[in-house]
Amino acid sequence: MLKNNPTLRYILARASWYFVTFLVAVTINFFLPRLGDANPVDTMMAKVSGGLDAKSAKEKEEAYLKEFGLIEVDPSGAIRRDAAGKPIRTSLASQFVSYLGMSLHGDLGGSIQQYPKRVSEIIKTGIPWTLALQLPTIVLGWLIGNVLGALAAYKRGPFDKLLYPLVLLASAIPAFCFGILLVYFFGIRLEWFPAIGAYDDGLTPELSIAFLQSASYYYVLPFLSVFLLVVGGQAIGMRSMCIYELGTDYVKYAKLLGIKESKILFYMFRNAMLPQLTGLALALGTMVGGALVTEIIFSYPGLGLAILTAIQQSDYPLVTGTCLLITTCVLIANFSVDMLIGFLDPRIRAAQAAGG
Amino acid sequence: MSETLTVELSRSRARTALAVTAALLFLGACRHEKSDSGGLPRAETFYVAGRQWGEPSSFNPLTGNPDWPVANSINLVYETLLYYNSLTGKMEPLLAESYQTTDDTVEATLNPAAHWNDGKKVTGWDVKYSFDLGQKYKSLPMAPLWQYLTEIKLYDDAGKEAPVDPVEGANYPRRVVFVLNKEKKNPLVVLDEFQNTRIVPRHSIEPQLRALGGNIDAFLKLKFDKDAVSSGPYKLLSYSGEKVVTVRDDGYWGNQALHGGKLPAVKYVVHPIYKGNDAFSIGLRQGRLDASSTFVPRIWLKNKKGVHSWMDEPPFFLSTSIPMLMINHKHRPLNEVHYRRAMAFAINYKDIRELAVSGYSDPLKPGLILPFGLESKFYSDEDAKQYGTWFEPERAKQELKDGGYTGVFNSDGELVETHDASGQKVPTVYIKSPAGWSDWESIVRIAVKSMRAVGIDARERFVDSSLFWNALFQGDFDMIMQTPSSAPTPSKPWSRFEFLMTTQDFAPEGEKMYKNMGRYNDPKSPGYIARLDELIAKIPTITNEQELIAAYRELNVLFMRDQPTIPLVYRADAFYEFSNKHWANMPTAKNPYLPPLIPGDRLGTAMLWKITPVLN
Repeated sequence: MLKNNPTLRYILARASWYFVTFLVAVTINFFLPRLGDANPVDTMMAKVSGGLDAKSAKEKEEAYLKEFGLIEVDPSGAIRRDAAGKPIRTSLASQFVSYLGMSLHGDLGGSIQQYPKRVSEIIKTGIPWTLALQLPTIVLGWLIGNVLGALAAYKRGPFDKLLYPLVLLASAIPAFCFGILLVYFFGIRLEWFPAIGAYDDGLTPELSIAFLQSASYYYVLPFLSVFLLVVGGQAIGMRSMCIYELGTDYVKYAKLLGIKESKILFYMFRNAMLPQLTGLALALGTMVGGALVTEIIFSYPGLGLAILTAIQQSDYPLVTGTCLLITTCVLIANFSVDMLIGFLDPRIRAAQAAGG
Repeated sequence: MSETLTVELSRSRARTALAVTAALLFLGACRHEKSDSGGLPRAETFYVAGRQWGEPSSFNPLTGNPDWPVANSINLVYETLLYYNSLTGKMEPLLAESYQTTDDTVEATLNPAAHWNDGKKVTGWDVKYSFDLGQKYKSLPMAPLWQYLTEIKLYDDAGKEAPVDPVEGANYPRRVVFVLNKEKKNPLVVLDEFQNTRIVPRHSIEPQLRALGGNIDAFLKLKFDKDAVSSGPYKLLSYSGEKVVTVRDDGYWGNQALHGGKLPAVKYVVHPIYKGNDAFSIGLRQGRLDASSTFVPRIWLKNKKGVHSWMDEPPFFLSTSIPMLMINHKHRPLNEVHYRRAMAFAINYKDIRELAVSGYSDPLKPGLILPFGLESKFYSDEDAKQYGTWFEPERAKQELKDGGYTGVFNSDGELVETHDASGQKVPTVYIKSPAGWSDWESIVRIAVKSMRAVGIDARERFVDSSLFWNALFQGDFDMIMQTPSSAPTPSKPWSRFEFLMTTQDFAPEGEKMYKNMGRYNDPKSPGYIARLDELIAKIPTITNEQELIAAYRELNVLFMRDQPTIPLVYRADAFYEFSNKHWANMPTAKNPYLPPLIPGDRLGTAMLWKITPVLN
């Protein structure tokens, strides 16, 4: 059946590669954070050990280690100890096995630093904010950036001369710098927009006019801080892609044949679009990692800071859980683009038909 | 027409997108400033910050580190027996109306009006249960107290000992007698716990714990975020990653019994959760925060925006603690007193005060006792002059010389290494501090620079914070930044000395110690100073003031002569800044009716009945 259906064969081949990548990523996600010296329970002990005597502290520490599956426990629930009375550490391999088992049931485990919270709870509360900030910003920024870039390449002249330096500047400013400038001028000096937060301190997130108004007011600066940078980056990319396409043989040939200019532009745009599409997929895939800098500068809710803190405090389950999410999103986004390009790009279509 | 369909399409899409964005911006921009539309009324809401750093995970009163407003030292939801007033040194009533210490007991008498928010009285059984839990479950925060206690007894008003298990009826025990352990008598730590341990309702906690088969680990997983039985003036209303909201309990017993029948003017105490440090400063300036206990640099620049601290002139804050360099006494050459004293003479403390901590400190004086405030009566300038260390590079060089050490400098005048008497290189001393803690990093940099200038081979080593704590407990450091036992409690300055010099639970390097991490005064070492342990054991039992002063002076002299750690600067345990944009009559040094604590934090809670809304 596969022989007669190159498209299906293409999809299956890609999918199996992605599956292998996924397995490797899961393994790395698990082991990498755990290979260091840091012990997350120490950070917890620093918070709770104040005044504890050595014996109580030891008991407390062992309770935590047991809770997080870092030491071995016999079937009755008692801690297994070595000859010197020290608890036996669970080996990384057996931690990995139990992690895989849990993941199959959709359980990402419990966070260590935010004990007793589950990793899934943390993701669930952070992700809507992250998506609300990132999705519109990236998609809009991508669209507008590409259109501006294509226009600049095509129209040249004063339009390009004005636009190009501007977008170059926008894409070159570091995100944190731009965010801080926005906060300083529009949030603190002029007080046009709130400098920090995501909605009025006195409100609770809900579907009401008051909340939506407040949230959109607070949205302006964080949105702009990411949006303008995305527009800048995309416009530059699109502009140079289009300029390149303008000089290609097929455009020259088409011109010689006397094909309508709008038709040529359409061909050109379609070809210039392909790499930009991959860029969009990557941006969408990694967005769940959060706009960390934006979150910190604007004290905006989201997943970014949770991930950073988890890494700093060696909160393994949370690091692994969020990385799993990011990995999955990146892979899905890339897979979708692969499929899309497979249908859009005639070269790949031709390759499929030729059986390779 | 040269545009193609695609371009046209993208353009129209872009136009729609632009229109939507513009609409959003417009909607936001024309929204007027009043925030009372459906939200918390600003005139009845007080915003505090600095006690909650991430999304809350548990409000369980028995965990070691619950989230705000149940957090340690926060009295909004659960209450302690007493408050400690760090300005007067007196214990003030809360659930207990009075207390007294005798030779072998500390006794608290409960306020007869105190009741839980379900109407049941706060009884001696509740108090005993709250502490007894620590006897049974060693991992609970009140467990360490039991090394100083033998039992807790309950008496009713008639002086009759009460039965162990609660019985219904009006005659419940109000007198709670903590019987001290004769071997280890220490009323100070008992008083510390009186103002520290949250009293929990036995009738609510005990059945829940029993339902879990007495499994404390399972119990500690309960979040207590709904309908918890508590005795405090506020209740948890809602929480998220952005803020925690508490609402006034109008039926709070203390309104009548402690505050003359008044309700607090504040209906909601809200703790927004900020992610960046600058946010606190911005929040205060813009009047979005009413009070904060975070480090806000250069506070004097914010005065004209209505932001103030305890004092409007240096040092701006009331210090209660001493950030210092802890020294590992098992490492060469730090086990040698001349080297330690040379370091202490070398450091430029004025630079640390002015450059690293925004001048939020009085000038440092030698020793481990604060030379101002309540502790100043134990402080002796005479002793300090005779035995202490201060910034004097010549004396540092002299100490090095006395110890046989020489600094080897290159032709540019930079230190290469330090040699001992036999001409051997002594190991470089590394100072550990958590990476990213910028004030500590600056302190360490200044200390390293000063030490190298006189010929001491010291270097900074900033480590990941998770590695930092492990290093601290296991003694895996030469020197390490630490602020020991920083909260103002009844046991100061004793507990500061005890934390740094106790030999109890002495463990070798590599095993964990949660006090005296520098392994000072090893009882098995030849240089063991038995007198230190004697003084630390004796001071809590001394009642005669003159005798107490003499003992503290002796202890401080021992500290100064041996320099087991190097104090660097003074610091407030919790900073205290406020905005007077929305609330008036906040306590200050000029109006010190309460200590500098934000509402909710210990005695700072009492402010909620005293402040008044600013009417605009």
